[in-house]
Amino acid sequence: MARVAASTLDPRREAPDAGPPPAGLDHERPAPRPPGEDPDVDRWLVGRVVEGDADAYEELLRRHRDRIYRIALRVLANPADADDVTQEIAIQLWTGLAGFTGSAAFTTWLYRVVVNRCLNVRRRRRPTEELTETVHPSSPGPEARVVAGQELEAGLAALADMPEELRVALVLIQLEGLSYAQAASVLKVPEATVRGRLARGRAHLVKQMRSWA
Amino acid sequence: MTDGPDARPTHTDGSADSPDAGDSAVDLLGIDAALPCGRDPQPLLEQVTEHGAVALDDHQRGCLHCQAALAEFDRLWAPMRSVAADRPQAPPGVLDSVLMSIRGVSEDAEFARIDEGYGHTRISGRVVAAIARHHAARVAGVRGALGKLDRAGHRRGAPDPDFPETSVHSAQPSDMARGPQASAGVAGTSTAIEIVLAADYGRDLQALADQVRAAVVAGVRANTGLEPVSVSVVIDEVLLPREASGEPAHSNGA
Repeated sequence: MARVAASTLDPRREAPDAGPPPAGLDHERPAPRPPGEDPDVDRWLVGRVVEGDADAYEELLRRHRDRIYRIALRVLANPADADDVTQEIAIQLWTGLAGFTGSAAFTTWLYRVVVNRCLNVRRRRRPTEELTETVHPSSPGPEARVVAGQELEAGLAALADMPEELRVALVLIQLEGLSYAQAASVLKVPEATVRGRLARGRAHLVKQMRSWA
Repeated sequence: MTDGPDARPTHTDGSADSPDAGDSAVDLLGIDAALPCGRDPQPLLEQVTEHGAVALDDHQRGCLHCQAALAEFDRLWAPMRSVAADRPQAPPGVLDSVLMSIRGVSEDAEFARIDEGYGHTRISGRVVAAIARHHAARVAGVRGALGKLDRAGHRRGAPDPDFPETSVHSAQPSDMARGPQASAGVAGTSTAIEIVLAADYGRDLQALADQVRAAVVAGVRANTGLEPVSVSVVIDEVLLPREASGEPAHSNGA
């Protein structure tokens, strides 16, 4: 680690100014790189986390927490479960990052952990699934909600009723924008399998939407 | 729901097909069946889900069956577009307890204190560090940044009782020279910050450190009213620009 400069007193300290940053700071770019989209920075942070740097861990979570939560929410269709999974992942990663070998992108490894955790949660709760509102909706079905202008609710309801493996592929690729290759790597299946699941998932959704018409 | 275009095909002479429900493109999905024009409906569905219902080739532009299928898929896919556009964020605080347990309860014990006419304002040292990180990360050439309180003094022993956090004088330059405790984290209205960062390869690192230091000082001063008396910049990693390499690049240490 190279310490380039250390403990330099600010020469402007004698003229404090609580206003906005000086206009001369034109080296600040207007739009920083979106968090979570720089695998090299992820690797740097992971390396520091493995050495016990809690600040690096907080930054790593900050960069990825929303996507962790969103994948969990879409796969589980339950905000409370998504909260739980997000917290469990945060605990698991702190001690589990040593298992990240760096042979793949950190996000690939992370999303695999998230998906597996979600599927475990679904399997645990499956015995009572027949009683949930999703399966026997007391509210209008997707098409009725669409008519009422509630497209989002209709889409979420249709998504919640999809077969598990089709839903996971659709969440990763259609909703979160992963490539076929990335999704295949996350799910540890051939790319052709992912493409097939996505195609079946899309067909399933439009059929389901029309069946409620 | 937003109504899509009428799915029923209409010929240019004014006549109209009246397809049965069984003729719907949706019914043909997944059964190796083609539209009357011979096109497979599955690629049309992919087209709609990835690019919308705009016809892509001459056949589609002239084919009423394809146009009807595209319109039907587009109408049925609208709810999923709403789902894709909905980007919920992790609820605030969902990770706080995890981070607290990792850091330990004593980690957040430092507060800056600003005395005012009718009371005082206390600002957590972690808030100062987060603000510093935010401003450092916005400097061109910084790929990632961590903001830390400089706890050098605390690591060497207990804080000097002569410099309590409530004192607004505890970290003036003359006091700084008296001992390391005054440079520890936050004290009174003064704060000492360490920025650890990963930089773009090829930058003048000394100049980058100066820019980071200036940005952090200005940002912390403006956002908190505190006075950064020391900003250490540690270049911990340099990374090849992704546009140039296409692959992760690692140069351990600068």
